[in-house]
Amino acid sequence: MKLKKLSALLLAGAMCLSIAACSSSSGGGESEAPESAAPATTEGTETTASDLNVGVFYYTYSDVYITSVRTALDAALDGMGITYQDYDGNNTQSNQLDQVNTAISNGANLLVVNIVETSSPDAAQTVCDAASTAGIPVIFFNREVDDSVINSYDNAAFVGTDAAEAGHMQGEMIANYLTENYDTVDLNGDGTISYVMFKGQEGNAEAEYRTQYAVEDADALLEEAGHPALSFYDPANTSKYLVDQNGSWSAAAATNYMDTILSAYSEANGNMVELVIANNDEMAKGAISSLQAAGYNTGAEGSKTIPVFGVDATEDAQALINQGLMTGSIKQDAEGMANTIATLVGNINAGEELMANTDQFIVDEGVAKIRVPYAMYTGEESA
Amino acid sequence: MSNSPAAKSELNSKRIGSLVLDNSLYIIMILAIIYIAIINPNFLTPNSIINIIGQTAAYLPAALGIAGCIVLTGTDLSAGRIVGLTACIAASLLQTVSSANKMWTNIGVLPIPVVIIIAMLIGAAIGCFNGFFVAKFKLHPFIVTLATQLIIYTLLLLYVQMGNNNGMAISNLDASYTNFVKGSILNIGGTPIPNYVWFAIILTALMWFIWNKTTFGKNMFALGANEEAARVSGVNVFLTTIMVFALAGAMYGFTGFVEGARIGSNTANTGFNYEQDAIAACVIGGVSFVGGIGKIRGIVVGVFLLRLIFVGLTMISIDQNLQYLIKGGIILFACAVDMRKYLAKK
Repeated sequence: MKLKKLSALLLAGAMCLSIAACSSSSGGGESEAPESAAPATTEGTETTASDLNVGVFYYTYSDVYITSVRTALDAALDGMGITYQDYDGNNTQSNQLDQVNTAISNGANLLVVNIVETSSPDAAQTVCDAASTAGIPVIFFNREVDDSVINSYDNAAFVGTDAAEAGHMQGEMIANYLTENYDTVDLNGDGTISYVMFKGQEGNAEAEYRTQYAVEDADALLEEAGHPALSFYDPANTSKYLVDQNGSWSAAAATNYMDTILSAYSEANGNMVELVIANNDEMAKGAISSLQAAGYNTGAEGSKTIPVFGVDATEDAQALINQGLMTGSIKQDAEGMANTIATLVGNINAGEELMANTDQFIVDEGVAKIRVPYAMYTGEESA
Repeated sequence: MSNSPAAKSELNSKRIGSLVLDNSLYIIMILAIIYIAIINPNFLTPNSIINIIGQTAAYLPAALGIAGCIVLTGTDLSAGRIVGLTACIAASLLQTVSSANKMWTNIGVLPIPVVIIIAMLIGAAIGCFNGFFVAKFKLHPFIVTLATQLIIYTLLLLYVQMGNNNGMAISNLDASYTNFVKGSILNIGGTPIPNYVWFAIILTALMWFIWNKTTFGKNMFALGANEEAARVSGVNVFLTTIMVFALAGAMYGFTGFVEGARIGSNTANTGFNYEQDAIAACVIGGVSFVGGIGKIRGIVVGVFLLRLIFVGLTMISIDQNLQYLIKGGIILFACAVDMRKYLAKK
């Protein structure tokens, strides 16, 4: 019995050790934050304002794109010698509000917030009010907040993309590709392209826009070029998309759907899905995984490629596009986003207005919202 | 009840009624299949049937693992995160050498059996950790795994940021890996059967053997039915509990290995909510939270029914908003029927 106890204890100990080992080797933002305060003096000019204490609130750490923003922003803030702490909202708004209030009571004097809840302005307004009560500036980023929220407090700003732009751009990209390759894509030669749309989440503004505009814009451009509109592969499905039921924009959801589609739709039946549109690269990759199992998009000789379009242009999606296994994606510029936020943080750090030095950015009319542009990505040469 | 002077015919109709109720799941399943097939004839093509079997096979090992925990009147909330962690680890060890964003540049591509063993060992180790806290401190598995699920999520978040990966999705997998999992060594009528179906069949057979033919399996059921009685009759409660959780962990590890290649893109989100489907499949299949009750056959039926719902509802293009309601309704109904059986026994 003693031996068993010992071995069990050892096991528990080993688990704890491995946890400790992992966290020390990864060098995440949190563990570096306290250290970055000390060497700030070596950075030179910025030292005077090292009393800035920034709280950065991410909606979830598990989002691939947000993680790349976090890496870039951590690096930018480290470089400026600014003390900061990162928080993971874990996709729960109540969680994030608690974190914001705790950070304020803990002496944070600048908030950078990637709000969780986007379908109503209330959550963002609550954060904004908390900041204004504490008399500290707040920068929202990535996930859109309402104009009224930003305008309610003169020390509030938003850095993000134009949520609808990704959808518009994806639609344009699809139409461009189709007009050039119409007959190759139209596998059954019936003159219309049948497509499937994978939606990341219900009730998320970006997902709604991407789902709507990618198809609408592609249809409009196709009609100009004398082609009929895209047709959803399953005419009985009136919503004209398939959504990740966990709302997590996941590759697994797209794989399961695509497997199901491919079990009933094929070239042999003359009803093969000829185009895949996904709200993000994860879902695009999930669909590709399923297509590959069915012999498409493998890059092998004689293997046909179903055009697959995503959004984000993550590194691995870029790799797929360069291998010709995926067709295109819309690049969300993580570093551009991080550097824009860092510019605003720098303004506060230097004692200037929040929205100073923003001439080189695209700023909305009448509201302090900076737009980081999207870009089309269709391969190395266009990057 | 039986000694009341009720007429025999009433008894008979009662018996038929309870027979229908006891087998209601199968009846619902058959009715659903007929209904879906009438609306969309594609549903019963070989392609479609193999798709449903394939999806069942992908989700089955995790359910087989979690069932053991439920037999012990417990549960395991950490299953999904363990699947995620092992999927990311397996994928990171099997990326192509030429990949631009290869996570570990120096390791090349490890042999597949080594990676399977690593994934299953990591799963089993975490399972031991769960089981230790359950057995040693008499904590309810719900609490223990609620906690470890959080701990594992941290490991997972940190892991995807290690090496060259920097939080990106782990993809660009080596062909040896994807072929091993998604490839097909056998066609039926021109429809390839993915290899992970065979893996699931082997694991199901193995689990059936463990549950029914080994002392460990018998101890597990004895312990689940009545811990005191089991202890008195000489069952090593501590060791059996740890082994049940370790076995479950190894199953999640294998699921992770399969999902890594099947999905082809692995992030901190991989495996999210997998335990919910696995637990639901078990209770639908009659593995009871009362403890000590459950059959491998039931688990297979449970997983199959859930995938049938998913595929079927997609095929008949039902409103996405209603899918949760249908799934929830079936789970609730199945559990109520299951509990009714148990109450009748009492």
